[in-house]
Amino acid sequence: MTAYLIRRIGQAVGVVIGVMILTFILIHMEPGSVARSILGIRATASRVAIFNATYGLDQPLYKQFWNYTDQVFHGNLGTSYYQQQPVSTLFAQRLPRDIFLLGTSTVIALVISVPMGVYQAVRRNGIADNLLTSTTFTLYTMPTFFFAMLLVSLFAVQLHWLPPEAPQTTSVAGMLADPKALLLPELTLVLTQIAGFSRYMRSSAIDTLAQEYLKVCRAKGLGERLVLWRHVLRNSFLPIVTIVGLSVPGLVGGAIIVEDIFNYQGMGLLFYQAALQHDFPILLGATLLGGVLTVIGNLAADIAYGILDPRVRYVGK
Amino acid sequence: MRVIRTGAAVAAALTLAVTAAACTSSSGSSNGSSGTQATGTPESGGTVTMQWIGGYPNFIFPLMPATNTDGYNENLQEPMWPMLVYSGDRGQSIVNPDESLYSAMSWTNNDQTITITLKPWKWSDGTPITSRDFLFTYNLIESMGQNWSGYLPGLFPGDVKSVQAPSASTIVINLTRSYNPVFYTDNVLSAIPLLPQHAWDKESAAGPVGDYDETAAGAKAVVNFLQKEGSDIATFTTNPLWQVVDGPWKLAQFTSSGTYAFAPNKNYSGPDKPHIAEMIDAQYTTADSAFNALRAGDVTIGTVPDDDYNQIPYLKSAGYSIQVLQVAAVAGIYPNWYAPDGVGALLQQLYVRQAMEDLINRPQIVQQIYHGYADPGNGPVSMNYTTLTTPLEKAGGPYPYNPGKAVAVLKANGWQVNPGGVSTCVKPGTGSGECGAGIAAGAKLAFTLEYSAGDPDVDEMEAAIQTWEEQAGIKLTLKSEPFNTLVGTVGVCNAQSHPASSCGWQLVDFGYEPYGLYPAGSGDFNTDGLDNQGGYSNPEMDSLINQTEYSGNPAAFATYENFAADQLPQLYLPDPDYINAYKSDLVGVQPSNPFSADNDPEVWYFTK
Repeated sequence: MTAYLIRRIGQAVGVVIGVMILTFILIHMEPGSVARSILGIRATASRVAIFNATYGLDQPLYKQFWNYTDQVFHGNLGTSYYQQQPVSTLFAQRLPRDIFLLGTSTVIALVISVPMGVYQAVRRNGIADNLLTSTTFTLYTMPTFFFAMLLVSLFAVQLHWLPPEAPQTTSVAGMLADPKALLLPELTLVLTQIAGFSRYMRSSAIDTLAQEYLKVCRAKGLGERLVLWRHVLRNSFLPIVTIVGLSVPGLVGGAIIVEDIFNYQGMGLLFYQAALQHDFPILLGATLLGGVLTVIGNLAADIAYGILDPRVRYVGK
Repeated sequence: MRVIRTGAAVAAALTLAVTAAACTSSSGSSNGSSGTQATGTPESGGTVTMQWIGGYPNFIFPLMPATNTDGYNENLQEPMWPMLVYSGDRGQSIVNPDESLYSAMSWTNNDQTITITLKPWKWSDGTPITSRDFLFTYNLIESMGQNWSGYLPGLFPGDVKSVQAPSASTIVINLTRSYNPVFYTDNVLSAIPLLPQHAWDKESAAGPVGDYDETAAGAKAVVNFLQKEGSDIATFTTNPLWQVVDGPWKLAQFTSSGTYAFAPNKNYSGPDKPHIAEMIDAQYTTADSAFNALRAGDVTIGTVPDDDYNQIPYLKSAGYSIQVLQVAAVAGIYPNWYAPDGVGALLQQLYVRQAMEDLINRPQIVQQIYHGYADPGNGPVSMNYTTLTTPLEKAGGPYPYNPGKAVAVLKANGWQVNPGGVSTCVKPGTGSGECGAGIAAGAKLAFTLEYSAGDPDVDEMEAAIQTWEEQAGIKLTLKSEPFNTLVGTVGVCNAQSHPASSCGWQLVDFGYEPYGLYPAGSGDFNTDGLDNQGGYSNPEMDSLINQTEYSGNPAAFATYENFAADQLPQLYLPDPDYINAYKSDLVGVQPSNPFSADNDPEVWYFTK
């Protein structure tokens, strides 16, 4: 296990450095003048020169990359061209919010969809299964944007039961202090995630229910409840682990649609706006962070496999 | 909502009439804004929440470095440190005499010397505002040189020979050349705030206040200190530096999400003392979330996106009134005089540009696309400059929609016109009735028009223009890109420099360019103007623009305006207004100041 982890971490460092190099080159291949795109069409030559000198853009590309790498290894992701604040500060304000929103909604969605998927598999093609399938298909096919707007129109604009915005504080504690404002964004994410998770869980549970070892369990006198919760649920959960692991880097992408509709300052809109504005330090920092989280997510999923499935063994080389 | 206060040498005030009469302006009324007065009985107190979309301030010190392009900063700074000359008086594009910091301004010595008398106002801590504060501001700006965000080549402070303070209330500025007082007052002095020397002239937080600004090195140290403090968002509210203000508002709260709140400056010396108790500038990530909050009734004043004008009846039924926010700007399509492959030669021909403008149905754009909320774009000066627009522009400009005329002018200049297809040059040459210099036989009237992506109304407008141009066989290929990509890839092209890498473009529509209070055209249409993207150059235009800047001849502006309307240095387009919805019990919002995006909330009040 230790050797396996060391090898995977070594691979991870290589992947992250590769992502850094590739992203840096791709971003700097963008045509046109970065300074002019930030400073606007009235930028004077002197102002462009000051901008380039301030951010080191007047140096050769290899030197820019070296400087960037050096500052990253010193914990500095640079300063946003447009927002004029350290990238790490911007991330520190937004990332916890996304982790909280996406984390809690994912957990809630899993808590609901996993047993729901198993239930549907057991009651396959029954009335309840068909009803839940129809509901989840409807949720799955409904664009998140549209769904969020529907919720806002109903609960905030028409009924005035809930505020149309998420909490505006940047601290998690502050957000928890305003639970009403959290309801609509959470509901949007939970319901749209339930749709996907429960479908995966149902399919996986149907496959598991057909396995021979369940007959052995029952033949040995194991009760149906224990069969379901100890064997079906655990073995059916593996595909969900993969999906959840792969969704970890999504924290950097944020929940852009929810951020858009519910005025939630998160990583998604920060990244999107930085891409439109040619704010390279934010793009580089977010991509780097995304690379790190991808690696961590995959590693965590692999470790979880071993815990859930005793057949999985870690090989150090 | 877009930011209207911009960082360049924008806006100021003074009517032509005032300055033309005596080259002197002075504060007028003393009992509130001199423009249209709000009605109803003011009720003290209340909170106004105003929406801002897509950005927020990051710098509180009013002198920003050249690298800072955040236009939202001025929305934070100017309510606390207004400019010496205050632009816009309610709905009028004139100087606001009540909110300006000077009581009199005279020009002498062949318009090279300005004598400014300051009002006997006080800073919020009770210290009088004096000429020393102006000297302090000047010294700091001078020390910043080109690294000041408001720097424009040749203008303040580069054109200042000396500044004197003969008394505590008098400033004398000697300039290196004569100026048109209206231009200088409206477009230069309107970008200069006064800064509190008695509180800010220090090199460190713990250090004493001194006269450090009086040496170049000291001034640099003061600027460095203030800029460092001024960029620390976390201390905007707590730093005692920023509690010394001379405007009607003080900062009461600033959150890391960019939402901030003003409270009245109880010691504000001006006549427009705030009535409302709290002014919250609330940040919204996108127009969608902002409009949701507006529809839910959670804000006092917010933007109605142009896609949602059909929601205006609902908003009215929900207790909102509608504010039309006109923008002082010029909108249009820049032609590239130096576009490769012979395209530049085509666009250099006035008759080609005339034909193209003849084919743009501007009234239909205003009515059908902008729902009637737009300046018609009849020429270089928008209609909200009521005292400056000429009869020619007011009558629709020299090129009203006329497809027949467009076809005729092309035929008269050697073109075989193919409506719906592409017209071709059949009479090359430079003589009368021929296509013109650099245009070969068989040349085609086909161009690529690049514009900023993301606004459905703009998409619709460009598509309509494409269709209208086809009537005379002018083929436009549309290409939309994100705004910053457009700005970064479309370079300035002129006779001195038109590199192939950034001058391959042919026609570009950046949207609108904001004007100062005196829309003289300098920067836009003169040969070396910063906004002159496509290299338009005309000695007569340069001469007329110079007259608007440097001569005191009041007729110069009209001559320039009509010439610029006729010569089409750009193809003029309508410039859309912005629509806000505000709670109907809030009075004073209308008419809005074209130069102040937050609409001078010191004149707002609630009624019972």
